[in-house]
Amino acid sequence: MTTTLPTPTTTGPSRARRVAALARGETRLLLRNRTAVVNSVLLPLLLVAAVPALDLGGEVPLGPQLLSTAVGVTLVFLTYYNLVATYVARREDLVLQRMRTGELTGPEVLLGTAVPSLLISLGQVVLVAVGVAVLGEWSAPVEYVLPLVAVLAGTAVMTVLAAASTLFTRTPESAQITTLPLMVATTSLSGLLYPISGFPDALATVARLLPVTPVIELLQLGLAGRTWEGEVVDAGGAWSAAPLPLAVLAGWLVVGGVAARGFRWAPRR
Amino acid sequence: MQPTAPTALPPTRPAPAVEVRDLRRSYGDFEAVRGISFEVQPGEVFALLGVNGAGKTSALEVLEGLAPAGGGSVRLLGADPVRERARVRPHLGVLLQSSGLPGDLTVAETLETWAGTLTAPRPVAEALAQVQLADRADRRVRALSGGERRRLDLALALLGRPKVVVLDEPTTGLDPESRRQVWQLVRDLVADGAAVVLTTHHLEEAEELADRVAVLRAGQIVLAGTQAEIAETQPATIRFTLDDDAPEPPRPATAQVVSSRPRVEWHTRALQPVLAELLAWAAEHHVVLRALEARAASLEQAFLAVAAGTESSPSA
Repeated sequence: MTTTLPTPTTTGPSRARRVAALARGETRLLLRNRTAVVNSVLLPLLLVAAVPALDLGGEVPLGPQLLSTAVGVTLVFLTYYNLVATYVARREDLVLQRMRTGELTGPEVLLGTAVPSLLISLGQVVLVAVGVAVLGEWSAPVEYVLPLVAVLAGTAVMTVLAAASTLFTRTPESAQITTLPLMVATTSLSGLLYPISGFPDALATVARLLPVTPVIELLQLGLAGRTWEGEVVDAGGAWSAAPLPLAVLAGWLVVGGVAARGFRWAPRR
Repeated sequence: MQPTAPTALPPTRPAPAVEVRDLRRSYGDFEAVRGISFEVQPGEVFALLGVNGAGKTSALEVLEGLAPAGGGSVRLLGADPVRERARVRPHLGVLLQSSGLPGDLTVAETLETWAGTLTAPRPVAEALAQVQLADRADRRVRALSGGERRRLDLALALLGRPKVVVLDEPTTGLDPESRRQVWQLVRDLVADGAAVVLTTHHLEEAEELADRVAVLRAGQIVLAGTQAEIAETQPATIRFTLDDDAPEPPRPATAQVVSSRPRVEWHTRALQPVLAELLAWAAEHHVVLRALEARAASLEQAFLAVAAGTESSPSA
């Protein structure tokens, strides 16, 4: 016979409250990192200034182009790169292993740790949207749901890909190398700066399968009513063109989620 | 008819809070834990001792729910710590051998963050007082000394009022005063009914705290029992110094002569009769046994014998 678990007299905090508690601590940490705070404000301002000056000659109007570029850049640099570096640093510092000894589950630890980066990403996109309005380039979206889905699904995909990338990243310093392939590929081929329609067909087909490309496609469909080939569509046409990018995002979510199941909580011995 | 005396009930044995049965754990081909079994009752301290690499931490990680067992079973309060994690965690406090805390949070913020994730946390002020860190509440964690960080880590382990506490080398890096404070903390936990499993390299710590001890070697328990039972596996020691003109001392049949004059050392499992024989001989021959020592075996002796592979009567 074993002493058994006592009948619970107190209900534990909900999953959301546990994540919120951890996220509060993580946000405090972030706000104490002045460099990170300054960079997170400067980056979108630079983007607003730089993209119009580049005059990339795409078919998407400047406002939606700026917004979709801002979302893509924050997903790649803030969500993905920052999270890989943060997860690895916390693992090497044995913080993750410590957290796992409490009531937080593994996914809750990862999500709570990610919240500040996700909030900054959101803040940056809002700053760029304000910048677009100030430039007088704001226009009403053709469809509202698709951009929202793009941002949420893109954030989820990049978070699980960040967790998965820690499998082959030993130190925060090595994250600068291990994240390069995805960062370079998405920055150059996902339509952040150069329209995919200008690529050769074979390259465009491959580019559309990258994890950030469907986010840009969905954003430009919803914000500007433009397909990846530059065709102008209405709300119905935007939804008609959405299944493939949505499927690609779902596929990356599954791939990243499966890979992230091998997440290591402690440094290799 | 004469009423028969009621049959005496068998003595009731309290149910264990921790139950480990034939636990195994491997890393690839290397089997770090090779079938260990033990129980820990509520209100009891159980110490796992062993040299580095004996398998202590590998075993504890299964108890902590951080790794699945490769074989056998572990039950904490009747539940599997890995498969029934959500049920077990509110009642389990863990202090890892080494762990990290974010350096830019203050001590109080660290505890507040942790408390927000727990079912029934102590008030932060109480937790700080418990580990004598109340005067460091507003200090950043990175500015704490190693001992203060260890005590903060301990406060986190105890913040949820756990019924089972796993302490992996709890006083490593602590100064003697802090170590004694931690010992008192463990005694208080036990007095409140918690079951404590600890590992330590300090045998003095095990002697101070543990009700029962198991000594691991190469992933197996080679000695287990109360401290007295473990010490009994080793011979007692008698030492004395003889002057040059003293007659030859007796050679008791149950004593092994380790060294002879001038400093004589005998090992024996029959301390009292051998000592009595020696004293009788000294009295009869008017011999002064200078610097006479007679000492029962210690936990340290048993531990060292296990480390050297010379322990007797292994039991688990």
